[in-house]
Amino acid sequence: MSEIAAKAPAKAPAGPARRRLLAARLVPYLLLQALIVIVTLLGLRLLQPNDPEDFALSDFSVRENGLTRPVALPHFTTSRDSLADPPLYTGAFTFRREDATAGWSVFLPRFSNAVEVAVNGVVVLDSRRDANANRPDRNTPQIASIPASLLREGGNEITVRLFVWGPLKGFLDTVYVGPDAALRPAYETRTLLFVTLPVVFSAWQAILAVILAIMWLMRRREPVYGVLAVAMVLGVVQAFAQAPVPPANASRLSAVLLASAPIESALVVVFGVLFFGWRWPRYGTLLFMPGILVFVVGLIGGPPLPRILFLVLGIPTVGLCLFLMACVTAAAVVRRQDAASFTIGCAVTIVLVCWIQDMLTVLEITSNDRIFVSRLSYSAMLVAIGAGLTWRFARALNQVDSFAGQLVTRVREAEERLKASFAREEERARAAALANERTRLMRDLHDGLGGQLVSIVALSERGHEGATITDAARAALKDLRLVIDSMDDIGGDLMLALGSWRERATAQLRPHDIALDWRVATPQGLPLHSELRPWHVIQIVRILDEAVTNAVKHAQARHVAVTIETRDGSDGPYGMISVADDGRGFASAGNSTAAGAGQTARGLRNMRSRATRCGAALDLSSDASGTRVQLQLPQRFPDSDMAAG
Amino acid sequence: MSEQGETGDPITILLVEDDAPTCWRLQDALVKAGYEVRSAGTLGEARSALASGAPRVLLTDLRLPDGHGVELIREMRQRFPDTEIMVISALGDEESVISAITVGATGYLLKDAFPTDIATTVRDLVAGHSPISASIARFIVRRTQGVAQNSAEPPRGPALNTARLTPREIDILWGIAKGFSYAEIASHLGLSRQTVPGHIKNIYRKLEVHTRSEAVFEAVQQGLIKL
Repeated sequence: MSEIAAKAPAKAPAGPARRRLLAARLVPYLLLQALIVIVTLLGLRLLQPNDPEDFALSDFSVRENGLTRPVALPHFTTSRDSLADPPLYTGAFTFRREDATAGWSVFLPRFSNAVEVAVNGVVVLDSRRDANANRPDRNTPQIASIPASLLREGGNEITVRLFVWGPLKGFLDTVYVGPDAALRPAYETRTLLFVTLPVVFSAWQAILAVILAIMWLMRRREPVYGVLAVAMVLGVVQAFAQAPVPPANASRLSAVLLASAPIESALVVVFGVLFFGWRWPRYGTLLFMPGILVFVVGLIGGPPLPRILFLVLGIPTVGLCLFLMACVTAAAVVRRQDAASFTIGCAVTIVLVCWIQDMLTVLEITSNDRIFVSRLSYSAMLVAIGAGLTWRFARALNQVDSFAGQLVTRVREAEERLKASFAREEERARAAALANERTRLMRDLHDGLGGQLVSIVALSERGHEGATITDAARAALKDLRLVIDSMDDIGGDLMLALGSWRERATAQLRPHDIALDWRVATPQGLPLHSELRPWHVIQIVRILDEAVTNAVKHAQARHVAVTIETRDGSDGPYGMISVADDGRGFASAGNSTAAGAGQTARGLRNMRSRATRCGAALDLSSDASGTRVQLQLPQRFPDSDMAAG
Repeated sequence: MSEQGETGDPITILLVEDDAPTCWRLQDALVKAGYEVRSAGTLGEARSALASGAPRVLLTDLRLPDGHGVELIREMRQRFPDTEIMVISALGDEESVISAITVGATGYLLKDAFPTDIATTVRDLVAGHSPISASIARFIVRRTQGVAQNSAEPPRGPALNTARLTPREIDILWGIAKGFSYAEIASHLGLSRQTVPGHIKNIYRKLEVHTRSEAVFEAVQQGLIKL
């Protein structure tokens, strides 16, 4: 309900525009309600059951309060309580045995509160035995067959004793006596309309009360379901509870029955207010006071007082509630202009018309054979509202379903957008990584290959022959292979890069008759480094290359030993690669020629700077028995170039 | 000094190389070692040289003026299955070597190898010992891992079916990739040192794609082609 209320137009046009809008909406609605009133009145006329007038007995004499006088039925008694001395109606009818093909019956379409019918002094019908028949708010008819032995040829006497215990005056409609076949259809019609139909409505109410109560239990924040459920439960109790027939002890139950109508009508007003999205005002509780008062007095006080209170307080409360409800719906129509408010408005108008009609009947302003229709119309309205609410609940569920569907679609769309942007981001990251790699590759090529090619050009220009150019060109090729090799994905296993290097170093050393001793001290070689990048590999391999080149060029070594191992440090394992030769050592070699010393010094500087760039520690020791280069690998290779810039 | 085959005849080599200095260099090294060498600068020359009979060994460059060396290797494998084939490569990079292996080559020769190494390599090849480098071995074993991991994107480089390699052969390749010598590998794996080269030749043969239909079949097997 709240979601519907939220949809109500919140913007209130100001001043004259607002008044115009109000008129433009209210006038058609009121005209429509007038039409509904007319249709309802016509409908009530049509509803009036036809009785077999051929067999009507209207002329009776009544003995009331010790006085006997002739009356024409239908007749209202003067008293509201005649249990001590019930009025006795005496009439006569003629029976011709030759006309009578079947049995005869006596048919009483309407009476209140109870009757005892006797034919020729023998009781044939006592309605007090059927509690339902005696309720003044029901239009229960009664029929009784007259035993053939009772009927006399010619004139017969019929007496009707009318028991009245309020809250209304006693009433006796026209009595019909005649062949059962002629009376029965009229009785059946009235039974259908005034007995069966209310039972059907009450059953529906009971079912809807259960459904609405479940809805309210599941959705506590929408009390409108609960309010309607309570109203329906009250209606059902009122319809099915058996009122005891006086003078049997006045049960407390009758108080409940009396109180039900005002409380129900107040609940309906609460429903209307909540349904149309207003807040229930605190002083609105006053609307329940009459009903509760009747109930409390009924529980405490004796029989006449609650009934009187009901007449004085209860019935006007019902009218007031109906009127309030009509106002609420009219306001809702003006504000919302939706199907729900129009429908409920029309229904309230119908019930209000029926109630007014009943009031006129009670006050004996219109003669309507005392047929009460407001209870019937109210039940019909409640059933309609309940069905509407259930329908709306189901529709809300459908909306939730479609909302869930939309949500799924939205989520999918968002997911796709996210995926696209993620792919874009990934693409950009890949491009950035590629650019970085390219920069490094350029620098690596510049460092090695470029310098060597330039050196080849210079040597050729100066007319050098043979060995020097060959060495430079071989170094260039070796470097190119190193760069290409290091670009390969080795999955963080430096051993794979060292495997290729071993081949190259062996090939490099073979012409100089230098043996390469290769020793992997630990089974797995070196620890895996998932962060290992091609440029780390290039730096490490170049350091090793430099060490081997020194051994070849300056140390005059016969053996180069490469040892690879994993050591356990305080923070975990780390790799250690050492290259040792058995040459003269560069300290003594450095003294031989100045040019050689300069080259060696530059080589050492290069090695150190390369080690620093990839986070490794370089330890170099050299003496006359040989040179030993120890490269301690970091536990984690740095992401960025540590000596960049 | 003359290198001779089982029949006693000198071993014949067809050398296909378009760069004249490189060609001279290789030819010198091989002739000095006692081989009988015929050289060709183009695919056409190579084909006409084949008209007079099959050589024992074919050494070919891949990029030739009138075509690709891979075509020549494929033709040789079909016409003369007994001829040993090696590819001549400047850098020994996997791109060129692996593509040659898949059409039937069983090794490669670096263009700048020392003359003694050139002769040794050819001798070993004729003796049934196929050379393999650490980087080629690494490429192959990385590819076996790629297949095992079932990675979504196709691996870079030439297509290679490693499905038929045995775990032992893969172990050998791992050893080579990590720089171990044949002797070290043999002792680690409990093999005889002499059997390792034979294993390597088997590996090359398993990587060879024989026919077009087989290539398609294997591509489907590896999920490279979706039918």
